[in-house]
Order: sequence, then structure tokens, then C-alpha cells
Amino acid sequence: MKSINRFIYKDPRQVGLNAIFGNRNFGWKFELIGLLIFVCFWMAAASFIFTRPEFEQFNGFLPGPTFKALFAATQESKFWISVFASLKRVLIGISLAAAMGVPIGILVGFYPKIRSLSYSPIQFVRMISPLSWMPIALLLFASFESAVYFLIVMATICPIILNTTIGVLNINPQWIKMALNQGANNFQLIKTIVIPASFPYMLTSLRLALGVAWIVLVPAEFLGVSSGLGYLINDARDTMEYDKLMAMIIAIGILGFILDRIIQKLQHTFSWSWND
Amino acid sequence: MGTHIKPHSRRQFLKTTAAACSSLLLPGSINAFKRKEPIRLGYLPITDATPLLVAHGLGYFSDEGLIVDRPVMVRSWNILIESFLTGKFNLTHMLFPIPIWMRFKQKMPVKVLAWDHTNGSAVTVKGDSDIHSFKDLGGKRIAVPSWYSMHNLILQMGILSQGLKPVIKPQSARLAKDEVNLFILPPPDMPTALLGNKIDGYIVADPFNALAQVKFNARIMRFTGDIWKNHPCCVIVANENFINNNTVLIQKAMNAIVRAQAWCIKNPKETAHLLSRDGEGYLPFPKDVLRKVFEDPEKSEVIHPDWDVARIGFQPFPFPSATRFMIDQMKQTLVEGDTLFLKKLDTSLAADDLVEDQFVIKAINEMGGINQFCNCNLSQPYTREEVIEIN
Repeated sequence: MKSINRFIYKDPRQVGLNAIFGNRNFGWKFELIGLLIFVCFWMAAASFIFTRPEFEQFNGFLPGPTFKALFAATQESKFWISVFASLKRVLIGISLAAAMGVPIGILVGFYPKIRSLSYSPIQFVRMISPLSWMPIALLLFASFESAVYFLIVMATICPIILNTTIGVLNINPQWIKMALNQGANNFQLIKTIVIPASFPYMLTSLRLALGVAWIVLVPAEFLGVSSGLGYLINDARDTMEYDKLMAMIIAIGILGFILDRIIQKLQHTFSWSWND
Repeated sequence: MGTHIKPHSRRQFLKTTAAACSSLLLPGSINAFKRKEPIRLGYLPITDATPLLVAHGLGYFSDEGLIVDRPVMVRSWNILIESFLTGKFNLTHMLFPIPIWMRFKQKMPVKVLAWDHTNGSAVTVKGDSDIHSFKDLGGKRIAVPSWYSMHNLILQMGILSQGLKPVIKPQSARLAKDEVNLFILPPPDMPTALLGNKIDGYIVADPFNALAQVKFNARIMRFTGDIWKNHPCCVIVANENFINNNTVLIQKAMNAIVRAQAWCIKNPKETAHLLSRDGEGYLPFPKDVLRKVFEDPEKSEVIHPDWDVARIGFQPFPFPSATRFMIDQMKQTLVEGDTLFLKKLDTSLAADDLVEDQFVIKAINEMGGINQFCNCNLSQPYTREEVIEIN
């Protein structure tokens, strides 16, 4: 009996993706070594492919030119304007998606009827590439900027809803039973048990959404905006300047890493009561 | 007593309200409320957008008393068309076949106001390629930017003239010796695809030909202006309802654009600088790439040196003969999708219905006549004969 118990809801955040997206700190040594291995891999692959004479035009993909271009970019105001423009789009987009997705996720998780009703629509919408919404985005929204937000919301709302739902479903049923025994109504249940207990899952959903948002950002900045890291990537493609393209990829990677780390810290702060 | 309104202040209130209300009835104040419809320009990062960008960059729109924001760049024809349809842009450039498709297939109220530019495109192959003319294209893969483009039209004219057959097949399909496989590729991806041997050549607007020339010594197989002398490429379009409701505005905008076109003809180097990222930064390209576009091609690169055509020209008048020729060609061109509407189209009626040339004629006359823009026959300045020669 004891050995089975070990696997049941001892740490709800270790279920599924939370093994990766949990708040565990692996230690900076591992992270650094991981990064180094990654860079070595990139160097090896790039120098294997792009040093061939027929690919001379593509040697911007090598780490050397990339970091040179990244350094040059950081000296330009255009780069920093783009960083803030893209950050703003990602953060506003995700905030809007969370403002809608988290309440929906809680309701879907809490009420079995809503769950059955919403299952197929959510699965349906989830599979649609957010970029196919582009014509609708252009039609519905007056400005290009708001169309970009719309695309990010469409891309990120499903992971937020789903992960919040999973969080609600994974609440220890005994807590609910106990609260019901003591005469709690649905509102009290949601307020005092469901929301706090699924909070780590909500934060995890934000971390997932962050990755998706950056993915959508590059094509979304095809629309009529005049700054942004995706915009600069498109510029680099137009002019075949692949060192600049790689530099922007690295910049997006760094920004994404920092944002993820911030949410991870939050996750750590809010994982009090039921952990351990 | 705290809620008591003093008679004096109430009278004051009534007076002000009455004054405010009556002022609404005055014609002057109504105009103050009705915001002037601004001109919103959209463009793609290609040299086809030049006249619009130069007219903005040199302040020609403001000279005409128009309020025009900085033109907005989008990255694909689809986005440009969608933004135009949803009213985000009300004046923009488009490949000539696109408004034909929009007006006669999709029944959208779009009108062609003028030619944006002439020529300005080319078939580009790798520097060491064995393709030297259209007859060498058999069994090759060529990329075009859009089915409804000048480029597709002219390429297929060339292919057919050599007894070859244009086909649309998967990339891996085996091609017969007389088949030329056509693909759609976004222009920015074309040079890369050529370099990576995914295609054997491409036909597209500059600067993607010039870019490949500068970056990896690609060779221009043929300039499109060397096939169809001074052919139209992009046109200036606007919504028909917008034109009808804003005739004065449209006239002013056309004046500015035609003036910009005249300036571009006289100042190719300055045009390149203005558009480049070294100048106003309308286009992401460096100056040396754009210079190549606005320079005249070398004599060795052209087949018809006697035509004396510019690599990119800026003749604004939409010659009806060219419109008719284009619609006729579109009927014979292979595209993906439903083309039944073309078969039913009466060429001359359609050409008249599509083009609204009163504004551009007025603008040209104000600039001192059409001879500034082309070596036209002055006895009949607004007609010409289309010259097409493929070899």
C-alpha cells in the first residue's frame, strides 16, 4: 500500500508537463553546461553545413558572425525599440489571453457539463494554425497593432484554458469533500480551494503560452507594423543577411528565457502550502 | 436647499446649451466635426512601390495639401490585398492582374487609376547556369511570385513561344523535356531557393533580381521590359466608392504621384538613396542593391538595345492597348484556381470598366505632358502599339 501511495498526488505539479515546467531548480551548473553543449552542437552542425563553398552566402548562420551581428544590433536604437515593441506585444497578448483563458479554464474544470460541452470546440480551435486567422484579424480590428494582439491571443488561449483545466481536475478530491462537508457553496469552493490549488498550473500555462506567443510573433509582424524582432527577422530575410537573422533569433531566445525565468520564480513563490 | 439651482446659473446653462446646439446647425461647424478622410498608403518592400514612397518622402503629398501618414509596409500580397479590402489602405500599388481578378472574379469595387511603374522585373538564373534563353527552360523549375502576376504572364508567353509547356506539378515530379514546372514562392525566398538549387530560376520584381546579382553573381536571363517593351507591372489602385466620394482628394494624390514619377526618371541615384535603409528607410535594402535597380542595364544584358528601355520606368498613363493585351494574355495563362470568369470576360469592355484615367491625364497635363515620361507619338499621345518580341 505504501509504495502505491507514493505516486498519488503527492506533488501535483509533477504530473505530465510539470515534470519539465515545474518549479524545481536544477542548479546553475547544469544549466550552463546545457547551454555550452547546445552552442557546441550549433557550431558543429553549422560549420559542417555552411562552410561548404556553395553555401558561402549562408555563413551568417555560424556562431561567429551571429554574435558579431548581435553585438552590432545592440548598439542601434532600432534594435531596442524592436525589443520593447515585441515584448509589449507578447505581454499584452498573453495578459489578454490569460484574462479570458483562466476563468474559462476554471469553469471548464469545475463544471462537468461545461467540460463536456466545451471539449469538442476547444479541441477544434486548438488545431487551427493561428495564422489562418490573419484575414479575420485584419477585418475585425482597426489597427495592425491590435490585429497582432488578436493573433497572439488566438495562439495562446488554448494552452492556457487546457492547462488551467488540468490544474482544476488535479485538485485533491478530499479537499473538496472536506469543504463540502463543512457546507461550502460552489463560489466558496472556487475561491478558497480551486483557484489557489490550481495556481501553479496557471503559471505553467503562462510559460507554455510564452513559447507559443514568440512563435506567432514573427509571422504576425508580417502585418503593417514598423518595429519588432519578427519585423527585423523579416527584414534580414528580405536582404539575405543571415547573420542578422540569427542575431534576432538569439535575442528572442534570451528574452524568452528571461521571461520564463520570471514566471518560474513566481511559481516558486506560490508553491507553498501543499508542496511537501 | 442644497440642491437648489440658482436662477442665474440655470439661465447661463440654457444659454450655453442653446449656443452649442445651434452651432451644430452651422455648415462650418459640421465640417469641423466631419474628419477629413486621410490617405492611407500601403506597400510591399519592393521597388514597385517607388512612386508612392518618393511622393511621400519628398513631401509632394503635403505640397498638395494632403495629410498622409507614413506609408505602411506589409510583407505579402495577400496581406496587402486583405488590408486594402478592409479599408486599412485606401491607395496602394498592386500587380496589374490582381485588380483584374478582384474586379471581375470577386466583384470588388476596385479601380486602376494609373500605372505605378513599367518594366522592373526579370528572369534570374544562377551565374553558372546553362539557361540563356526561353528555349533552354525545358525540364526546369521556375518560381513565380503569384499566379495573378505580370511575371507569370510574361514567363508563360516566353515558354509557349518556344513550343514548351508550362505545368504545375509537385517539386519532385519527373518533368518531360518540353515541360516547365512553375511554383509559387514569396519573393524574399527566391534568391535563397535559387542558391540552394531548389529552383533553376525565378521571375520577380526588383530588387530581388538585383539582390541576387549583388550577393551571389546571379545572372539576369532576360529583363521583362526586353520582352514586352515598357510593359506595365504594378498599377495604382483605389476603391471605386472612395474615388467617387473623394474626387478632389484623388486628383491631388495623383498629382503628387505623377510628380514623383517624373522626379524618379530624372534622379535615379537619389531615388535609390532615398528608399534605402541608408536614406529614409522605406525599404530594408542597402543603397548598392537599389542603385542597380535604378541604373540602366548594360548593353550586353539586353537583347533589344534599340528599344532603349529603362530597367524600371515610371510612365503613368494606362494605355488601353496594354490593358487589353494583358486581359487577353490572362485568358491563355495557366494558373491554379478557377479561371472561368476570364473566359466570359469581354476584353474591351473589361478594360474600359477597370481603368479610371481622368485623374492621371489631368495630372500628366499639369506636369507638362506625356512626353516627359516616354518617347510617345505626339500626334496621338494616349495610344500606342504594344511591342512584344520573345527570343
